Amino acid sequence: MKEAYDVIVIGAGVVGSAIARELSRYQLKTAVLEKNLDVCNETSGRNSAVVHGGFAYDEGTLKARFCVAGNQMMEQLSSELDFPFIRCGKVLVGNTDEDMKQLERTMAQGAKNGATGLELIDEERLHQLVPAVVGKFAMWSKTSGILDPFLFTVGLAENAHANGVSFFFDHQVTGISREPAGSDSSDFHYILHTAHGDFRTRWVVNAAGLGCKAISDMLGITGYRVVGSKGNYIILKKQMGALLPMPVYPVPSNTYMGIHVTPTVDGNVTVGPDADLVDDFSYYGVPQKNMDALAESASNLWPHIHKEDQIRNFSGILPKWVDENGVIQDFKIEVKDDIAPRAVNLVGIESPGLTGAVPIAQYAVGLIKEREALEENPDFNPIRKGITRFAACTREEQAKLIAENPDYSDIICQCEEITRAEILAAIHNPLGVSTMTGIKYRTRAMMGGCQSGFCQMKIEQLLEQELGKSETEICYSRKGSWILSGKLREEPSV
Amino acid sequence: MSENIIKKTYTCIICPNGCDIEAEIKDGEILSITGHTCPKGEAYVHQELTAPTRTIATSVLVLGGELPLASVRLTNPIPKDKIFPAMEEIKKLTLTAPVKEGTVVLEKVCGLDSDVIVTKNVQVK
Amino acid sequence: MENKDVVIIGGGPAGLAAALELYKKGIHDIIILERENHLGGILRQCIHDGFGLSRFGKSLSGPEYAQAFIDEIEKNHIPYLTNATVLELTNDKQIYAMTREGLKLYQAKAVVLAMGCRERSRGALGIPGERPSGVFTAGTAQAYMNLYNRMPAKEVVILGSGDIGMIMARRLTLEGAHVQAVFEIMPHPSGLPRNIIQCLEDYDIPLYLSHTVTDIHGDSRLTGVTISQVDEHLKPIPGTEKEYTCDTLILSVGLIPDNLLSTDAGVTLDPHTKGAYVDEHFQTNIPGVFAAGNVLHVHDLVDFVSLEAEALADSAASYIRDGALPPCSLPIKTGNGVGHAIPQRISGTKDFKLSLRVRSHYRDCRILLRQNGEVIATKKMKKAIPAEMIQFTVKSEAIQEHGELEVSVE
Repeated sequence: MKEAYDVIVIGAGVVGSAIARELSRYQLKTAVLEKNLDVCNETSGRNSAVVHGGFAYDEGTLKARFCVAGNQMMEQLSSELDFPFIRCGKVLVGNTDEDMKQLERTMAQGAKNGATGLELIDEERLHQLVPAVVGKFAMWSKTSGILDPFLFTVGLAENAHANGVSFFFDHQVTGISREPAGSDSSDFHYILHTAHGDFRTRWVVNAAGLGCKAISDMLGITGYRVVGSKGNYIILKKQMGALLPMPVYPVPSNTYMGIHVTPTVDGNVTVGPDADLVDDFSYYGVPQKNMDALAESASNLWPHIHKEDQIRNFSGILPKWVDENGVIQDFKIEVKDDIAPRAVNLVGIESPGLTGAVPIAQYAVGLIKEREALEENPDFNPIRKGITRFAACTREEQAKLIAENPDYSDIICQCEEITRAEILAAIHNPLGVSTMTGIKYRTRAMMGGCQSGFCQMKIEQLLEQELGKSETEICYSRKGSWILSGKLREEPSV
Repeated sequence: MSENIIKKTYTCIICPNGCDIEAEIKDGEILSITGHTCPKGEAYVHQELTAPTRTIATSVLVLGGELPLASVRLTNPIPKDKIFPAMEEIKKLTLTAPVKEGTVVLEKVCGLDSDVIVTKNVQVK
Repeated sequence: MENKDVVIIGGGPAGLAAALELYKKGIHDIIILERENHLGGILRQCIHDGFGLSRFGKSLSGPEYAQAFIDEIEKNHIPYLTNATVLELTNDKQIYAMTREGLKLYQAKAVVLAMGCRERSRGALGIPGERPSGVFTAGTAQAYMNLYNRMPAKEVVILGSGDIGMIMARRLTLEGAHVQAVFEIMPHPSGLPRNIIQCLEDYDIPLYLSHTVTDIHGDSRLTGVTISQVDEHLKPIPGTEKEYTCDTLILSVGLIPDNLLSTDAGVTLDPHTKGAYVDEHFQTNIPGVFAAGNVLHVHDLVDFVSLEAEALADSAASYIRDGALPPCSLPIKTGNGVGHAIPQRISGTKDFKLSLRVRSHYRDCRILLRQNGEVIATKKMKKAIPAEMIQFTVKSEAIQEHGELEVSVE
């Protein structure tokens, strides 16, 4: 039996990490159990990375409320947690009378939701904002933005960790049972079962994302229907971002935002997502026909999508809570005091879960506070400092960095100009992550034109040396994703 | 007796030209060769017909070096069927830095007329 | 800021040959900037033999070929820096380099681009499917094995019949991995015929032409790939899918000149070669910026890289001495059957060497160079294949003062 906790959060996506950080504001012994080897491995990191304005959701929903609140606090979060966020705005582009009516409805809905900075613009203004975009008019959402979802999550998780939260990776919860606590037979602890042993806790938070229904069932809260909406994306090379100052969306339908083109904070462009209903929440393969359809569809919005500029593809799956008719529901965030007391159950956290992660977390922790007095953590420090990006510095700053730390003069990833100092900082990350993608997403190493052809060997070697692991233990991303099967020549044993 | 004459095509591997050579062979004897552009091509076909040979390149473990391996190659081609036995011999070798290009690290591999020589300098770490 | 006659970016075969030749021509104020910690470039991991047949008259391994040049560099005390990454090249020939001694800024009279090439990756091909570990470019697998003493594979499928892919098929087999097959999307192999014999046939590794990977399986390590036959437009034919169980997919699907620095400086690239547009002096559109070797166009043999870099050095030396080179205003276009040709502009007043690649297989063909519709040079070939670079010299007497040139196959 492992140690006993006050709260255990299941899932280290953006919401689980945000909840962990909110909990670390109080004097609670908190842990996060994550089935993957790093944070942000599923839905949180597999999306358009857009900070939404809050106009796309029905009035009065949690989605609308948390989206608007999350949007408004993003500058503060970005400065506290040191992750890239750009309030670049976005446009929803239309052509027909029907499009105009839909945009007017969207404007009105946004106003009711408290979304600000919405304006209908004509073609001329649209082309001033985004040259080459195809459309007759648009709704311009000035408060929309883009962020790095991975570094946002890392920032939340590292800050939670610095404030006392423990993270356990490769810890999939396989079952939940109850155990009497003390002499009072009505009181109990939850026991969370994992392949690496059991965890005892008073409170459980289900932030399992795609696994929300499974965990909910384990808690005894049954009956939810959750479907997966899989969206495929293609990524265009870095130079293309210069041609796209802000995300360009088509006019949305009531249920689907449509295939859009989005600049990333690093200057790439993502094209997607489509929306396929799926049962398998673990299959992220991108089919050829989807890739072709994405490029074709988005070319109607923006003409710069060419096969030779494509550098990668990816997909993400949104867990959508639906009713018996398949109609998509709001976020569900609840404590069922009768069925599963002291369990905060989050179901169907999909878009805008990234934008609304912190308000969602505040609400979830609020449900605990309604039931139990929490004492503030006097040592809580909201500030987390990320890895200094050499490539983003001026020549003078670069010279200063090198003078302070000679490892900054050793460039490991040539394409993205990532130095040994940054790789080492990523390897020794506070959360103890040791995968290649963990290094990649923390530093951008291996993300450039050669797609790791020249540098992955060096990074793999550094992981071995710094962590004292053998080559067969280094994983690419998920558990079991070995890179090397051994050595060519073994050193004779002494 | 023409039914005993076999026509066979070879792609010469001696140089990157990769000449397509056609040979007429009867009872293991070459009657004619066409398509080659230098005498090496003719010699190659003779060799292929009688006892095909190949060379190999691989690496040897280096202890205490700035690099873990020194690359090596054979000085002469060896019979094709000796490639894997030769690999086994070479895999057993261990060198200590510094290692100099051109050093013979194994003479007459598998008793054949070919030595294993180092092709890369490896300094002490 | 340091002033230099020549800054050479890249210490591989092109950079080394250019440096030595410049030195011989009396240009001694040189610096070679090499990003790795040894000179030699990609040759360091190409441990197989077959290099240097035309230059040294014998078959050497890659490291030996490189060392022959490095020895000369050392003997002549030609300055170089290793672990020196060029961060920026400006159009007025300033070079920011990150070195072990900190950031350095050079002002060069002439710059030699000798950065070589990189491999096309999975992303550039747009192969659909999942994203497990176990998908490597051939060069990455080669580096793991030959430089780092690490084995990346057990059960292998190879996509692409490029030379490095075939050489890795043999290398992996010799080290105990099992290579099931090589698949090539084109109807002809993309590597040299000798490598099909000595790397594939010798080890009973089948080569399937007109086949490609249409799906990748595995959510952690690769568990298999789907292979499909393709039609004449290279589109997969439905119903021909076949599953292969493997833990490794090696990609040998082409090389791309590495011109990130060049384009930032304003060097114009040829969409066919993905290298710079150059004149017969190997000078790019920026006066005093030269390019040779695989950064200009991908070569089949390193011997030709060395020769090209030496020709470049000849011109660069004149440029440094005279401050300019004769203008080259006659463009060379590619016609029927020719994929690309170097140089793209000539003066017409000097003999020049034309390098080109054909698009498909030809037998008993002629390479024709026309100007104003008139044939001014011909090369007869018994066979011409895309895997091989074709070169021949064109005499200045044949060239007219005006009019575009066009090279084609017939």
